[in-house]
Amino acid sequence: MLAQQLLNGLVVSGVYALFSLGFTLVFGIQRILNLAHGAIFMTGAMVAYYVVDSGMPLWLGFIVAILASGLLSVLVEIVCFRRLRKTGDEEFGGIISSIGAGLVIMTIAQQVSNTQVLRFPFETFPVVIFKFWGLRVSMLQLFMASAAIILVLLLGYYVYKTAFGRRIRAVTDNEHAAMLMGINPNFIYSQTYFIAGALAGAAGVLVGLAFNSITFLMGEPYLMFAFAIIILGGLGSIPGALLASLVFGMVQTLTIAYLPSGLTDTIIFASLFLILLVRPHGLLGKEDAGNLRGRR
Amino acid sequence: MNGLVAGYLPLFDIYLIHLGLAFSQYIVLRAGVFSLATAAFAGIGAYTAGIFAVNLGLHPALGLLAGTLTGMAAAIFLSVPLARLRGVYQAIATVAFIQICLSLNIYSENLTGGAMGLNNIPKTVGTGTLFLFAALATYLIWGIERGRLGRAFNTIRQDEAVAASLGINITRHQMLAFAISGALAGLFGGLEAYHSYALDPNQFGFHLLITTLSYVILGGRNSVVGPLIGTAILIILPEIARPLAENRMVIYGIMLIVVINYLPKGIADTAIDAIRARRLKARGDAKS
Amino acid sequence: MSTLKLTNLSKRFGGVVASDDVNLSVPAGKIIGLIGPNGAGKTTIVNMITGMLPVSGGHIHVGDTDITHAPAHEISRAGLARTFQNIRLLGEATVLENVMIGFHRHETSSTLAALLSLPAASSETAALKGRTLALLAEFDLQDFADYPASGLSYGHQRKVEMARAMAAEPDFVLLDEPIAGMNDVESDALAEIFQRLAANGKGVLLIEHNVRFVAKMCSYVYVLDGGRLISEGTPDDVLKDPTVISAYLGDQHHA
Repeated sequence: MLAQQLLNGLVVSGVYALFSLGFTLVFGIQRILNLAHGAIFMTGAMVAYYVVDSGMPLWLGFIVAILASGLLSVLVEIVCFRRLRKTGDEEFGGIISSIGAGLVIMTIAQQVSNTQVLRFPFETFPVVIFKFWGLRVSMLQLFMASAAIILVLLLGYYVYKTAFGRRIRAVTDNEHAAMLMGINPNFIYSQTYFIAGALAGAAGVLVGLAFNSITFLMGEPYLMFAFAIIILGGLGSIPGALLASLVFGMVQTLTIAYLPSGLTDTIIFASLFLILLVRPHGLLGKEDAGNLRGRR
Repeated sequence: MNGLVAGYLPLFDIYLIHLGLAFSQYIVLRAGVFSLATAAFAGIGAYTAGIFAVNLGLHPALGLLAGTLTGMAAAIFLSVPLARLRGVYQAIATVAFIQICLSLNIYSENLTGGAMGLNNIPKTVGTGTLFLFAALATYLIWGIERGRLGRAFNTIRQDEAVAASLGINITRHQMLAFAISGALAGLFGGLEAYHSYALDPNQFGFHLLITTLSYVILGGRNSVVGPLIGTAILIILPEIARPLAENRMVIYGIMLIVVINYLPKGIADTAIDAIRARRLKARGDAKS
Repeated sequence: MSTLKLTNLSKRFGGVVASDDVNLSVPAGKIIGLIGPNGAGKTTIVNMITGMLPVSGGHIHVGDTDITHAPAHEISRAGLARTFQNIRLLGEATVLENVMIGFHRHETSSTLAALLSLPAASSETAALKGRTLALLAEFDLQDFADYPASGLSYGHQRKVEMARAMAAEPDFVLLDEPIAGMNDVESDALAEIFQRLAANGKGVLLIEHNVRFVAKMCSYVYVLDGGRLISEGTPDDVLKDPTVISAYLGDQHHA
């Protein structure tokens, strides 16, 4: 039923938004495509699982997971990217370095989880279904949607309304000038990576709860998907990422529901390819996509 | 003695095949194209060759030729849209291409066997053939480097504005780099098909992308010696120490981080630069 | 002998007019100056001539050939070479390699020969190396041939860039602020090279800030301000022109 799928799509979009926002935030501020982002997402899910598995309540698991992912993200920045900023090789080097980080994190997760599929104990999140207007909504879906909305709003407030956020934007604009004004860029960058990681971790927990299947590889499909999202939205654009998450979340849900399986991935990536052909800077990105000088 | 050598032959075979793939990745990066699509071209070449043998029953030489040509064609096809993109955008486009090829492969069960893969490919390629092709590939890359194309690629990679002002047609050269890359990947993909009895679509996905990239990053992106050394180290290392083999991915990961941060030119290029600098210094000292 | 000719050349970026109706002529064998305060649009003109910036209006001719819309890599074939404001040498390459690339326009071996390292291609490469060393010697740079270009002094790097531009055997040379940051000794050395170029029949367009240098070198000078030509003539005439003087001193418009 179309309305039901649209509803499902909305929830999925929310999770994609949480994942992609951090991804695009980091690119916007440092032009680094952090391919370890998927691994950080997965870490959120795993940490939450192990917290709950040891007997703690879910809400604690959620908080610990978010903190852990945020901190992991900062660690990745310090170890993998900080030095590249000095040599100016972030675009190429950042991708390589982040691939490495992702490999390390995933292998550790693989060892810790013994390559098993981890599942939350039954009823970790109460299974309650609401029915209204012929639609079925689970409490989990409501929780996911509200968590996504709240976190996105918090992010928006933080970036656009607070002093911290202003500094992030200042550093993004011009690192040198920001330094002259007494802003410590390293601290700003660490904050940004923390936020990005925390959001990804939150998304991880939500997805872990929704599908109840946590593996060390679970982040990779989301990473691939996020490529499509942030390109469509425009690399570095927060509103763009939100809009694109909505679009692709819907597209994915609808194609899975109505088209033969296996076609979804092809469609998503073919769309990504098409966008890169036609309008590489996406919907809301800056027009210097591809760094081409003005020439015919 | 023979037994010892024979024991290592399979490893050598893998080295030779992966060397070809490393060269494929190497040549595009050399020309300033941030393409990671070698894995996809290899898959296209491998499956073409496989299908030629299994479904069409044709001679392996034809299959290899077909694999090379389809790899090259796919690369040329990809180069057109990519000509307008640079840097990160090119990289993402090529990764998307790998995914599309992977998805199409799994979807086209009738042709490729889908997720089950292509099986029962007669093994018609042995170490000798592999060595021959690897040597030819090395000669090709070495020759390109010393000559006009290598000089043009270098210039394009380091400064496109200068390249254009000197009359270098950037689009045509990058398309050429893509074509060479696709042909090499297709050829060695085909060799892989005729060497290992079966193909699995996931062989040509993100995992192969990472390993191929690692060979070039570790070895060096600027000289033919780079891929030779990088591939050798990454293939031999897990064999020397069992724990290294088990934690292969962690080692690759740490290596990527460390090399790109502290030895960005890779082992071979850093060494070559150091030797050259020392030679210049000796000459300078000798003069005074 | 042909002339490099700009006719009513204009460039607009959206609503901003960067170049407005510029008419300029560089005859063979002469050194022509283009001066103007910062932001006057001098580099925009050079970028349009060399095909790096699309032209909004007007024409550019080399002799009878219209190169207004020619892509950047074909400009070299039309006989134009340029140097860059901030020296753009290939940092990773040696001096020899940097200059050898300048000969690209003249390389004739086929792509196939280059790919397969056929004798035709390798002998051409060897010949090129010889020509490069000879060229370096003309600029007194032969001792630096194997050194990484980035390790040379500023003055020497400029000479390498000039050598590279000369390798293409151009008919016209566009020099974009070639003596910026140099002392008199270094700039005099370059002055000699420029005069040699003109004596050899090349047309030189010299874009410079250093008005004294321009006055010394050029037979004719154009003055640009706000994208528009405000004066032209011999150096003596132009330097006495009140419009020119106020453009350089009365800088309120160009903050």
